[in-house]
Amino acid sequence: MNRKLTEIVVAIAISCFAASAQQAKSAVPDLNGYWALQDDSRNVPRSKLTAQAANTNQDELAKHDMQEIRWCHWYGVPYLMGTSPLQIAQNLTGREIAIIFSTRNPGRHIYLDTPHPNSGTYDATSTGHSIGKWEGETLVVDTVGFSEEGLTAIPGGGRRTKNSHLVERFRLLRNGNQLSVVFTWTDSKTFAEPHIYEFRYFRLPKGFEMSNVDCDPADEARAKFLLSPPGTQIP
Amino acid sequence: MLFESKTIVRSRHAAVALALLTCGTCSFAQSAASPADFSGSWERRDDVGGGSFGGILEKIIPKAVLKPEFIEANRREAARQQAGDVVAFSSKWCQTFHYPFFMQHSAAWHIVQTTDELIQIPEVHTFARHIYLDGRKHPDPAALVPNVNGHSIGKWQGNSLLVDTIGFVPGGGTPGGGRIGPATHLTETFTLLDAGKKLQVTFTWEDPSIFLKPHTYNFTYYKSAPDSYALEDYCHADEATQSGSVVEPKQQ
Repeated sequence: MNRKLTEIVVAIAISCFAASAQQAKSAVPDLNGYWALQDDSRNVPRSKLTAQAANTNQDELAKHDMQEIRWCHWYGVPYLMGTSPLQIAQNLTGREIAIIFSTRNPGRHIYLDTPHPNSGTYDATSTGHSIGKWEGETLVVDTVGFSEEGLTAIPGGGRRTKNSHLVERFRLLRNGNQLSVVFTWTDSKTFAEPHIYEFRYFRLPKGFEMSNVDCDPADEARAKFLLSPPGTQIP
Repeated sequence: MLFESKTIVRSRHAAVALALLTCGTCSFAQSAASPADFSGSWERRDDVGGGSFGGILEKIIPKAVLKPEFIEANRREAARQQAGDVVAFSSKWCQTFHYPFFMQHSAAWHIVQTTDELIQIPEVHTFARHIYLDGRKHPDPAALVPNVNGHSIGKWQGNSLLVDTIGFVPGGGTPGGGRIGPATHLTETFTLLDAGKKLQVTFTWEDPSIFLKPHTYNFTYYKSAPDSYALEDYCHADEATQSGSVVEPKQQ
């Protein structure tokens, strides 16, 4: 009887160990959920710009941004990563992670363990093409293929261009209740050296539902508000 | 002997229970796994010889059985289009698409699936649609904030996902001439076909203030190649206005 008992326990333990080993192999940190930025979420030093970038006409850039907002174009990255809350969804297959935002946009898709597509055939987008891989507990996301559509200002100074290259490192902190994302931008025409900054997002409670922030280019009052001198009386 | 035997049995139960408890965490991921994997990129194709995306709709979507005022509204819209005004105001102005528009659009849409949610991510100008799978209920009507995709909850029935949606912002439309109001109720069934190469979605729209009987139809979507990736389908109303097709941003 004792031998049988031992055999049963050993059999369960072996199958358990095998399952644990299998899970450990595929287990990755759980980034799933909704995340919010707080007042103290941003550590953003000033970037070191190239002379060409430093001399860019700021008035023209401001005008460009206002037009992008007025016409509800895709705002893109990095702007979207500074909106709050945002959702991270890790596909069950482990092949993709999506980042969903409350503003009207097609989201970010991070494809894991796959190369970027051929740059000759890829249509540049405001969020670029993102691929990711796990380095231990850190998700490293590499993004290229940006367009110049949307709100291109990079925190700390500089603009997203077609030449921009972004590497993000996502890492959970404090028992998974905080998420650190370290952004590194390189672009030889914009930055004299890689521009690095960090955001820390706070996990929202389970069951949270994100509302939608709409954008209507046909809203005449909205358009007048955005394009008129501040204080103009607009119904 | 009797005492010893009972002890052994009790010990065996305890040991097995302990082993199973220890194993519980490792098997959780498997037991929590969804019965079907809908993730990936999905797109419509012309598998009925419709010749165009609109042509496909005409061949596969039955006419909604509507109350007279909606039949009249559809007649007026058809007359306007017949007269050459073929682009809807909302399209000219790149206004947000209401569900289910992206489901019949030519652009692909994408599913990301977690244990708690199935998220549909369109490429066109609208919002991601969240289908909650964690057992939550719809919010109390007083707390429900309407939006263009409504509020959706899903549950598994075998390998199919049943989705129940309420809380739409009024103003949208369905294929077959149906309209969507604040009290419209949608039920959908998502089912994989052909070893996961196809996804069939059956839609049933109900709203006694609009439909005389439930409006049911289905679409079949094809899974994109594994190396495909999402695009952005941009809409620039400013370019439309510059080309002269839109002159005044006034609601019609």
